[in-house]
Amino acid sequence: MRFSRALALGASMLALLSACSTGGGSTTIKIGSDGFDEARVMAEVYAQALEANGFTVDRAGIGLGGRKVTTPALESGQIDLKPEYIGSGLAYYDATKTTGDPAANRTALQAILDGKGGGITVLDYTPAQDTNAFVVRKETADQFTLAKLSDLTAVQDQLKWGLATDCPTNPVCAAALKSAYGIAPKDVTLLDACSTPMAQALAAKTVDVAELCSTSPEIIVNGWVRLEDDKATQPADNIAPIVRNDLLAKLDKTKFEKVLNDVSAKIDTATLAELYKEVTVDKKDAKDVAKAWLTANGFVK
Amino acid sequence: MTLVDETLGWLADPTHWQGPGGIPVRLAEHVGLSTASLLIALAIALPAGLWIGHTGRGAAFAVNLANLGRALPTLAVIGLVLPLTASLDPQLGFKVYPTLIAMVVLAVPVVLVNTYAGVAGVDRDLVEAGRGMGMDWRALVGRLEVPVALPVIAGGVRSAAVLVVATATIGAVFGSGGLGRFLVEGIAQNDDGMIFGGVVLVAGLAVLTELGFGAIQRALTPRGTG
Repeated sequence: MRFSRALALGASMLALLSACSTGGGSTTIKIGSDGFDEARVMAEVYAQALEANGFTVDRAGIGLGGRKVTTPALESGQIDLKPEYIGSGLAYYDATKTTGDPAANRTALQAILDGKGGGITVLDYTPAQDTNAFVVRKETADQFTLAKLSDLTAVQDQLKWGLATDCPTNPVCAAALKSAYGIAPKDVTLLDACSTPMAQALAAKTVDVAELCSTSPEIIVNGWVRLEDDKATQPADNIAPIVRNDLLAKLDKTKFEKVLNDVSAKIDTATLAELYKEVTVDKKDAKDVAKAWLTANGFVK
Repeated sequence: MTLVDETLGWLADPTHWQGPGGIPVRLAEHVGLSTASLLIALAIALPAGLWIGHTGRGAAFAVNLANLGRALPTLAVIGLVLPLTASLDPQLGFKVYPTLIAMVVLAVPVVLVNTYAGVAGVDRDLVEAGRGMGMDWRALVGRLEVPVALPVIAGGVRSAAVLVVATATIGAVFGSGGLGRFLVEGIAQNDDGMIFGGVVLVAGLAVLTELGFGAIQRALTPRGTG
């Protein structure tokens, strides 16, 4: 008994050692991400694509938390890389610069990140877009004939609102709703946007309007109605890896960027929604979901 | 220094002391939720603990059940019961009951184990003497075991109360009211003053709870013992 346990320990340590010694030299890429499932599965896709190309990654920062946590972590080098929503990421630094054009958002975000944490690079973004989505149940949409956000203005006080926890101070949330739509809801429950509790609150009728992600699988599964942002207040949120320049200097930059850019190019909105759904609704492990997709698309053998 | 300034500045801002999301309302929600869950926990754990301590029956079962309750993460309890309670009542079932139930699950083991241990620890010679004097079980429990075990029982209630006051903050993740809102919203809104203002309030309330229940416990302890 004792012998076999010692053997197992030895074997696992060997496995650990060999895992450390394979790949692109001694540099470990510390990957981080936001806490919600879509960001976690994207981080896992990056991690496995990099590993398949001989890089060494550390996953400790995956699911770290919101931008309040991940931004200082990236700027200080506690993590080297994270999947970033370029519109919201830009709004975090300067909400006046966000547009509906992802290329312009990327350029503006890059200009800001050049001066952060010794320089941070925005790699290519996905064709996939995920935008903040204001969602109602089908019967609410029917009852008040709702199709777009401006339809909510007149009935805002008859509804209960589920908004993101950072909404009161987020320029593309409360401020945008008020200035573009004249919406300043009274009955508000603050929950994490795109989270399971937010979807549960809408399903349980705790709230009537919920702020989810356009890719949130619960919208399709429950037959909910996403209201059109007819005044175009929400930034275009394509996802791009953002990575510290000091890390890029330590490894084969061309190969590293090609691995991630090739992966990003393959992720369209339907793909992103599917990866997200498999984790959130089908309750699969993000690692398995990422691996299956990477294998199916030839990134991992 | 800036953090202290931000925290004091947030606490001193009069706008934070009014309205539905103000400090007095959040404090009242927090105290209300904590009190309700503690009372429910006492209603369950005190009789059960007394019975087990008095009879000696089911002690192993109770202690194991209590340990299981302690091992359950509070967040997991909330997540588990939320779909059920929310389907019963869309408002309270989402924002209040899950946290309330999780706090009861948290408090019951502490009170139960202390009550059981207090009663079971009463000197058997005393109990035998009581029996010899013709006391029935009601008198044995009410006039002998409970008074002797009271300091230990009160100690359990005190621990449970402090635990609940400190942990009830976690319900804010699921939209529950109380002081936890300042932590959750402060983190999301990048407002250090709000986060640490909330921390100061929760910590202050926990300390007050500890002192208050400590005073009660001392008052219940006969002189010359404990």
